[in-house]
Amino acid sequence: MSQHQQHERAAQAATPAHASTHPHEHHTEPHAPLTTASAMVDGTDPGLTKKGLSAGSVGLIGAIVIGISCIAPAYTLTGALGPTVAEVGTQLPAIFLLGFIPMLLVAFGYRELNSAMPDSGTSFTWATRAFGPWLGWMGGWGLIAATVVVLSNLAGIAVEFFYLAVSQVVGFFGGDAAAVADLVGNPFVNVATCLVFILGATLISYRDMQTTQKVQYWLVGFQLLVMIAFGVAAFWHVANGTAFDATPVELSWFNPFEVGSFSAVVAGLSVSLFVFWGWDVTLTMNEETKGSRTTPGKAATLTVSIVVAIYLFVAMGALAFAGVGTSGVGLGNEAIQENAFFYLAGPVLGPLAIFMSIAVLSSSAASLQSTFVSPARTLLAMGHYGALPQKFATVSPRFFTPGYATVVAAIVAAVFYTIMRFVSDEVLWDTIQTLGMMICFYYGITAFACVWFFRRTLFASARNVFFRLIAPLVGGTILAVLFFTTLIDSMDPAYGSGSNIFGLGLVFVLGMVILLSGVVVMFWQRWKRPAYFRGETLSRAVAED
Amino acid sequence: MLRGREAPERSNTEAETRMTESLRIVVGYTADDSGADALALGARIAAATEAFLEVVMVLPIEARGGVVPRDPGYERHVKERSQGWLAEASARLGDDIAQSLHIRYADSFAEGLLAAAHEFGAALIVVGAARGGLLGRSRIGSVASALLHSSDVPVALAPSGSREVATAQGITRITAAIGLRAGASAVLEASVRLGRAAHAPLRLVSLVPIDLPSGMDEELADLTSTAHAEEVLLAAKRALPAGVDATVSTATGSSIEESVRALEWHAGEIVLVGSSRLATPSRLFLGSTGSKMLRELPVPMIVVPRPTD
Repeated sequence: MSQHQQHERAAQAATPAHASTHPHEHHTEPHAPLTTASAMVDGTDPGLTKKGLSAGSVGLIGAIVIGISCIAPAYTLTGALGPTVAEVGTQLPAIFLLGFIPMLLVAFGYRELNSAMPDSGTSFTWATRAFGPWLGWMGGWGLIAATVVVLSNLAGIAVEFFYLAVSQVVGFFGGDAAAVADLVGNPFVNVATCLVFILGATLISYRDMQTTQKVQYWLVGFQLLVMIAFGVAAFWHVANGTAFDATPVELSWFNPFEVGSFSAVVAGLSVSLFVFWGWDVTLTMNEETKGSRTTPGKAATLTVSIVVAIYLFVAMGALAFAGVGTSGVGLGNEAIQENAFFYLAGPVLGPLAIFMSIAVLSSSAASLQSTFVSPARTLLAMGHYGALPQKFATVSPRFFTPGYATVVAAIVAAVFYTIMRFVSDEVLWDTIQTLGMMICFYYGITAFACVWFFRRTLFASARNVFFRLIAPLVGGTILAVLFFTTLIDSMDPAYGSGSNIFGLGLVFVLGMVILLSGVVVMFWQRWKRPAYFRGETLSRAVAED
Repeated sequence: MLRGREAPERSNTEAETRMTESLRIVVGYTADDSGADALALGARIAAATEAFLEVVMVLPIEARGGVVPRDPGYERHVKERSQGWLAEASARLGDDIAQSLHIRYADSFAEGLLAAAHEFGAALIVVGAARGGLLGRSRIGSVASALLHSSDVPVALAPSGSREVATAQGITRITAAIGLRAGASAVLEASVRLGRAAHAPLRLVSLVPIDLPSGMDEELADLTSTAHAEEVLLAAKRALPAGVDATVSTATGSSIEESVRALEWHAGEIVLVGSSRLATPSRLFLGSTGSKMLRELPVPMIVVPRPTD
């Protein structure tokens, strides 16, 4: 057969079956045969080329590495340790274990939806399919808000550790380390540095410059090693009697009922959700992971086991070393709570503290990049389905990234951080709690969307009963309870870090501003672009098999 | 045309032999100005030589990095968008040029284009030379640069603005840049073939930069190097196959850039240059003279690989 005929045949075979789900695409009919190396995208073509297989897939270790680098344990722990201890004291390990449950349950539902309707809009698309345009729109808004909030938090932590690392280097060479470290406290220096970081991350995301897997293996390995070293060093200080406030490990640390108050547990949980956020990517990487069908499951299980083990070990090490006292580096001291490793690295690791700075910095950088992709892709999907201006659906013709959406997400994150830095004394703490609330909101909607979308197939098998009904329903319910409890509790001006506006807790105000502005924008879009809201671009559906 | 290489899968029946024998040109397309430049030049060469145009878009392999998880939904969106772009480009080309459109996946654009060229047994890869930098300066883009230092297929660089040149302009002349050293055979051979296919006259040029320490007799130096250049050109002309004629001209100036400016250029002209001696055999490597010419040339340039030793 001639090449030309082969092309034509390939073109017929490659006619996209998904075209119907993308009503907005203006289709110009090609004047010539069009071939696509579809194998690498769809994975359905049996003629998968060797090259495609090796370059387009991720092995077990690769999947674990991406999973861990998305969670970024060094970064999340430094942000979450303090605020969680502030709420639940020594029951920190218990809360970390407990916080994992709803995230795991919802992730199961997430995986079901992802394999039924793989779409870059994720929560937005799924919730629209299940519940219609209004709730779907708010689900997308929640996701975008959560990622934008975490972007500003990530950049904020990166700024603090950047100056810490610089001061450590300056101190090493006999310079005035304290003066450099104090620069972080200057809001203008802080905001300027943060904007530079966000600009850098935006450029990297826009141009799709990715670290190769090999480099990432080393970075993640290094991060884990530093965390383990931190835990070992902490316990070594305890054993040697050189700990700051040696606190013996007790079984009660694992008992959430010792916390005392339900509100405190809820507040602790809503912070701890954040440390597991991002883990679900290992569950949805199913299509690309090479090897047997069990690889993704294994990768997810191993990722989670590693992360939970590291969290518990480091959390216990930190508690045993520093205790929960309110002075010095005690974890109960409000002054150190919003960035624990920043203050603990020196006392625990001594001269090796610089490694902690590097670990947190590299982990925030990787997380900044993987996090950036998420709001950009959701914005793109919303633009694509006409829930937002068409511009958001623009794909950069040169880098094939959602260019416009990436830039918009970056600008919003930068503005958010700048405002927060001047409004709040405890930016990092407040943003993490707001983030917890947003996660509850959109993960909750996603979980219920799973149950509702699969409503006709729930009892088709025992597997469905668990993964499509029980897991997402229980997970979603827990998140819903957390969401409303947090919303009510956070009205108290003393909630969390104690930042407040007009006598209302800042976390509550932020949550409300984010959600209500979402409603406003939604009605504005309803007026400007009614097609989506009439279900013309993305209709409600229900799974039949 | 430029390369005597056969398409990998060649069958025996007469009709199909004719089909595979038609020249294939791979155009590295992107939906921006640089891609439009490449497509316009590719179409112009294809129209003039009755070649078959393979318009290729190369998308990145998503799982190549270790940071961002893959998203099949987004990949599908990009694929559909790219299909749309290709269809629009094809509509603009019209039906007169035999063409097919392709989407390929690779780690880099250059790598994907090279693989596509091998897949189709293409004789030429066309890319946009310039990637408008942030400062608006025209420079060799990373794609062109990668190809110019590794390709084993001739590479045509469409200068910025090629998209304004109509296909009907055709190829009015082929200019082969002959260096002063031996080893011009590859350029000569490729130029003859391209000239034949496009029914275009051939011109052999030699660029003679006069760059001597001050104090030397410039007149004399000028004379000797020009004489040498003319000798080389005449030798090259004698090496041309029977029945092929060519004009010769020598350009002098204080630098390569100035010599290029000293020559006259047709709007429909195409320049061929050889690879540097730094190239590994049968590969391409744009040398310093070539780079300097590229900066100054108002017309497209094709770089030919170094011949196999």
